[in-house]
Amino acid sequence: MRFLAHRLLLFAAALFGVSVLVFVALRILPGDVAAVMAGTAATPDRIAALRVQFGLDRPLVVQYFDWVGGLLRGDLGTSALTGRAVIAQVGQRAAITFPLIVMSLAVALLIGLPLGCASVLARGRRMRGFLHVLAIVGGAVPALWSGLLLILLFSRGIGLIGLFPSQGFPSEGWHDFGRALASLVLPAVATGVVAGASITRYTRAAVGDVADGGAVDMAMACGMTRTQAVLRVGLRLATPQLVSVAGLTFAQMITGVMVVESLFALPGLGALLIGDVGNRDLIAVQSELFLLAAFFLALGLAIDLIHRALDPRLKATNANGDE
Amino acid sequence: MSHNSGAHGDAGATKQNNAASTDASLNARAKSPRGGKPKGWLISLISVLVVVAVIIGVTMYFNGKTASDAGAGDAGANGASQTADTVTVGIKLAPVNLDIRHQSGSALEQLLIGNVYEGLVSRDSDNKVQPGLAKSWEISADGLTYTFHLNENMNFSNGDALDADDVAWSINELKAQKYYNYDQVKNLDKAEAVDADTVKITLSAPDSNMLWYLSGRPGLVFDKDAQYDAKTSAVGSGPYDVVSFDASDKLVLKANDKYWGADHKAKTPNVVVRFLPDDNAAVNALKSGDVQVLSPITATLAKPFQSDPEHYTVAANDGSDKFVLAFNVANPKLADQRVRQAIRYGIDHAQIIASRGGVDAALGGPIPSVDPGYEDLTNLYPHDADKAKALMAEAGYTADKPLQLTLTYANVYGTELGDQLRSQLKEIGIDLKINYVEFSTWLQDVHTNGDYELSLVDHAESHDFYKWATPSYYYHYDNKQVQDLYAKALAATTDAEADDYLRQAARIVSEDAPADWLFGYRVTVAMAKGVDGFPSRLSQSVLPLYSVTYRK
Repeated sequence: MRFLAHRLLLFAAALFGVSVLVFVALRILPGDVAAVMAGTAATPDRIAALRVQFGLDRPLVVQYFDWVGGLLRGDLGTSALTGRAVIAQVGQRAAITFPLIVMSLAVALLIGLPLGCASVLARGRRMRGFLHVLAIVGGAVPALWSGLLLILLFSRGIGLIGLFPSQGFPSEGWHDFGRALASLVLPAVATGVVAGASITRYTRAAVGDVADGGAVDMAMACGMTRTQAVLRVGLRLATPQLVSVAGLTFAQMITGVMVVESLFALPGLGALLIGDVGNRDLIAVQSELFLLAAFFLALGLAIDLIHRALDPRLKATNANGDE
Repeated sequence: MSHNSGAHGDAGATKQNNAASTDASLNARAKSPRGGKPKGWLISLISVLVVVAVIIGVTMYFNGKTASDAGAGDAGANGASQTADTVTVGIKLAPVNLDIRHQSGSALEQLLIGNVYEGLVSRDSDNKVQPGLAKSWEISADGLTYTFHLNENMNFSNGDALDADDVAWSINELKAQKYYNYDQVKNLDKAEAVDADTVKITLSAPDSNMLWYLSGRPGLVFDKDAQYDAKTSAVGSGPYDVVSFDASDKLVLKANDKYWGADHKAKTPNVVVRFLPDDNAAVNALKSGDVQVLSPITATLAKPFQSDPEHYTVAANDGSDKFVLAFNVANPKLADQRVRQAIRYGIDHAQIIASRGGVDAALGGPIPSVDPGYEDLTNLYPHDADKAKALMAEAGYTADKPLQLTLTYANVYGTELGDQLRSQLKEIGIDLKINYVEFSTWLQDVHTNGDYELSLVDHAESHDFYKWATPSYYYHYDNKQVQDLYAKALAATTDAEADDYLRQAARIVSEDAPADWLFGYRVTVAMAKGVDGFPSRLSQSVLPLYSVTYRK
């Protein structure tokens, strides 16, 4: 309980820090939304009028508290450019990006876990070497390239085997479930393969460490074959580490899928952020970044808690330390 | 099958291995079967690859077959005259919102003017003024009073009537609220409704550009009674209505069934404009049939379509885009005319154009070929590295003591242009540093603050010579003679007279070398066979879609 309270306090403090950091960092950027809106034919008059309209002429401290006050009321503000609520914009984009990340992670785990275990279990040096090289080469492939390759192979209309659409997201969104899912398959595989290679390496390291330890030997002494011992006992012991890795991969993918989103013309969070920063739509950007940061922090918190739940040893040491 | 034997071998080996650890001699023998084992794996790997290859081959065969069957069936059953009820057009840059009175960007004009909103007058693909909401007009002899006669029985898409009151209100609001481009019509004093079908516009000074400007944003007519969110929706009088708009995806247009006119009535019930900022995604969309038109397509990526004339047509068209390499004449280094001239002689325009796919037009001065006052000025500063070096030496710079300059330009234009300029200018003794920034940074540093040495940007606007006659513009170019000539051009009462003054002014500007005009960007448009009526020229600024059709 004390642990949880402590973590929550840290979480809140970190959020406050993020809000200041995001706000200040964005004000350092040259350019503002009024100039962008006014364009290359702008007169100083027009820019000034727009600045007043967006409230950019007020002191920064006032603008900050205005924004944070909104956050506390759960109001993320309205984009100066699109005139839409930031939360609606983020929600619409997240409905593409998050399913894509989940699918990519699923692909990555489906590839990474078996291959990682296989490379621990593999007896032959060549097999081991082959898996090792596979993991390194796979991790070195840029998602952009694997995406292009997938388009050439499997996209409808262009690829050798026209299975999946190669760009765009159906305008009906998830109401057209089949098409929405199909449009995410190739991008998910493109990022999943790359992330899968790094998960392979993590799995090999984590399971390998455990396999060298006493628990696996003990299990074998009790009559399991090495394969059984590694898979049943070793993998279980390595689970907390693997959960952390999966969590971190998830967090990484939020930025990692941006490239692939643009290749497949998916209107995800990446395109939103890049567009808004480019247009200096700061009210939107700061709320979006804040949301992302809050999500990262919440993810970290969740991983910590799961980690504890999965590994009774942590609980024991922590409880001892506390008392 | 081979999988199975591999697995067996594995299990056997494990046992052998366990047994081997107890006896050294057995251990040595056990190595030989182990050494052979990877071959088992290798065989299984190869067999898997073969199976995959066979599957791919078979699928490909059937895929190709069904595709060609379907194609043949379509053509056979429907004949050649099946007109699609939806045409999808791919463009590169999306407008961030639909608020044409506030938001900058040529994408808005391109998409909305003539399609959703209509102006008092319109513009054709030759950049000439044509009737719009007004069917005719008279200009008084002193050029100060314009009388417009409107079409009768016009209405907005919401059913509201459109009459002289709406026209006068729209134009007066533009001035009062300082809407986008209000400064273009600064000579316009006021608009008034004489009767329901007549509008009188009074000018404070004659302005030969007035009609043309009124064919753009300043002449647009809005419904003064309608309440709507102009950023996400639109109420106009044009042949199309906005169904939905998402800057990250597309603009969906539907024919306005209440459209007042007959000439511009929509021929295709639905038009979808997709925004495809990624060039590869755009090309894929055309290939896969998701879009029927790509405007623009990157010239270098258009080759595959060009070589397939049976299914696609590709054409490059003149426009008003000018890639302007501006020299900040207020900077002491660039105040020296010899340096500016040396840069112009030093740039090999042919090389730059060739590397971009060879479709762009050489441009020697500030006025593009589609604008009044155009004259081919490319002979003023032909590529001549020796002359450039001589001028640099005169100005006091040598290879040992090069001139340091910084070029600031936005990252939307690609790094190649800057690299090319750097290597070309290096030859004439200029050490060019590239400051590659975001567009909004460019806007702030260069455009708003005028703080730069060299700047490169695509000035897409037509009729924008005024920038050379406005010393406060970021060019900082201040030449009395040019300003006088421009004033005379505005005050001219005939087109020929205005053109003549503009031509003289443009030549003076070009000779003075306050900038180099790298090239006139020509828009390459690729279309699937069967698309008809897509506007060819100037499609970056006026894109009337009412006549577009697609026959499958």
